[in-house]
Amino acid sequence: MPPQSVPLLRLSKLTKKFGAIRAVWNVDLEISRGDVLAIFGPNGAGKTTLLRVIASLTQPTSGKMAFAFKGHNQRRDGVGYVSHLSLLYNELTGIENLLFYARLYQIKDAQQRAGEMLTEMGLEEARNQPTGEYSRGMKQRLTLARALLHEPQLLLLDEPYTGLDQHGSRLFTEVLRGLKQEGRTILLVTHNLGEGLELCNRVIIQNRGEVVFQAPREHVDPSGFERLYFQAVEEGGRRR
Amino acid sequence: MNAITLIWTLVAKDLKIEWRSRQALLTTVFFALLILVVFNFAFDPGSPATREAAPGILWVALLFPGIIQVNRSFQIEMEEGTLYGLILSPVDRGILFLGKFLANWLFLMVVDLVVLFLFLIFYNFSLSLQVLWIALLVVLSGFGFAAVGTLFGAMVSNIRTREVLLPILLFPIILPIILPAVNATQEVLLFQEIQSLNRSVGFLVCFDVIYVAAGFLLFDYVVSD
Repeated sequence: MPPQSVPLLRLSKLTKKFGAIRAVWNVDLEISRGDVLAIFGPNGAGKTTLLRVIASLTQPTSGKMAFAFKGHNQRRDGVGYVSHLSLLYNELTGIENLLFYARLYQIKDAQQRAGEMLTEMGLEEARNQPTGEYSRGMKQRLTLARALLHEPQLLLLDEPYTGLDQHGSRLFTEVLRGLKQEGRTILLVTHNLGEGLELCNRVIIQNRGEVVFQAPREHVDPSGFERLYFQAVEEGGRRR
Repeated sequence: MNAITLIWTLVAKDLKIEWRSRQALLTTVFFALLILVVFNFAFDPGSPATREAAPGILWVALLFPGIIQVNRSFQIEMEEGTLYGLILSPVDRGILFLGKFLANWLFLMVVDLVVLFLFLIFYNFSLSLQVLWIALLVVLSGFGFAAVGTLFGAMVSNIRTREVLLPILLFPIILPIILPAVNATQEVLLFQEIQSLNRSVGFLVCFDVIYVAAGFLLFDYVVSD
């Protein structure tokens, strides 16, 4: 499904400071429906903080965020969030974790929906196992299932590949490809340049809080992207 | 789904987790037992001095395990970041507070009533009508303690020194419920006087209402970054 023109999310001069530290600085961004935006940057660039602000886990210091969610009462209803933390309870089983969140999100037929998501993520056989016994790959897939339970219009993925082995990464990428084909709007923070480029239709590079590079994916040459990345990061660092 | 159902979903989740892990339950009960046993050996159980100190010993055995429980209740939310999962949900943050607070209170009640029973055995107090009054004081003060403990537990959950900081922050705030509870326990246990209980119970109820209302209103600010 091609991205539509009405921006789902508009960030205007978004800034988040922690004391004197400018974690996110003057970010202007428009995300259209169906966009898959890959956010690259070195550690401490402010990528996680940017996603946390969008997810309303933390309030911006200044600037504006405008969401154009359809049919959702609250911003939190329209956003799904996945980070390297699973947001799952180790003592609860896979199905119990999903059922708990389904009830918090007041999903109709919560039991059915939770079961469907488990099956979609290939975790049907582990449904009655405590998630503390899951492998890292299984946990990440269940985390994604949790984030998708309420059919969010915007999916935020903060370094979801952390701790995944090759097999787990491949499985996770296949799931994300499926979501992209469904037309989901995704913001993906990743250190994995190859996988990020493969999935996205837009690229931004963030450094020291600022967006130092942004372009549509078709304008980015994958073979030269690593060089471009380091150049953008160095130039962005010099500007500050 | 109304607020009561949401609150019950939150409470049931915490009780299920605690039942399966039993970490806080075993730790708090054994810690309380240790306090009772140490004081039992330190003092002659039958002596008048011990009977005078007994109400204080009871409340020490109730308070410190309570701190452990409140700390633990947010520790489990920090392990895999589930506190963020709760904050991300569309559930009103006051409802999140009520769910967490009620789960803490129910858990405390189980522990506190076990501790009360052990206390009566260790310090040779008979099971009589006075014990019901003590139980009422334990329930009411536990209510306020759980409310304040939940609020402050959330406040320090992200801080490395939370085990040290929580009791420092908590104790001055809970004095208005602990002092009348200790005094009323003394009057009931030692002097069998229950006429003055009305004032203590009224005091506890007032502060319980204040603490729960404050927690409900302030939880959003505490968990928001």
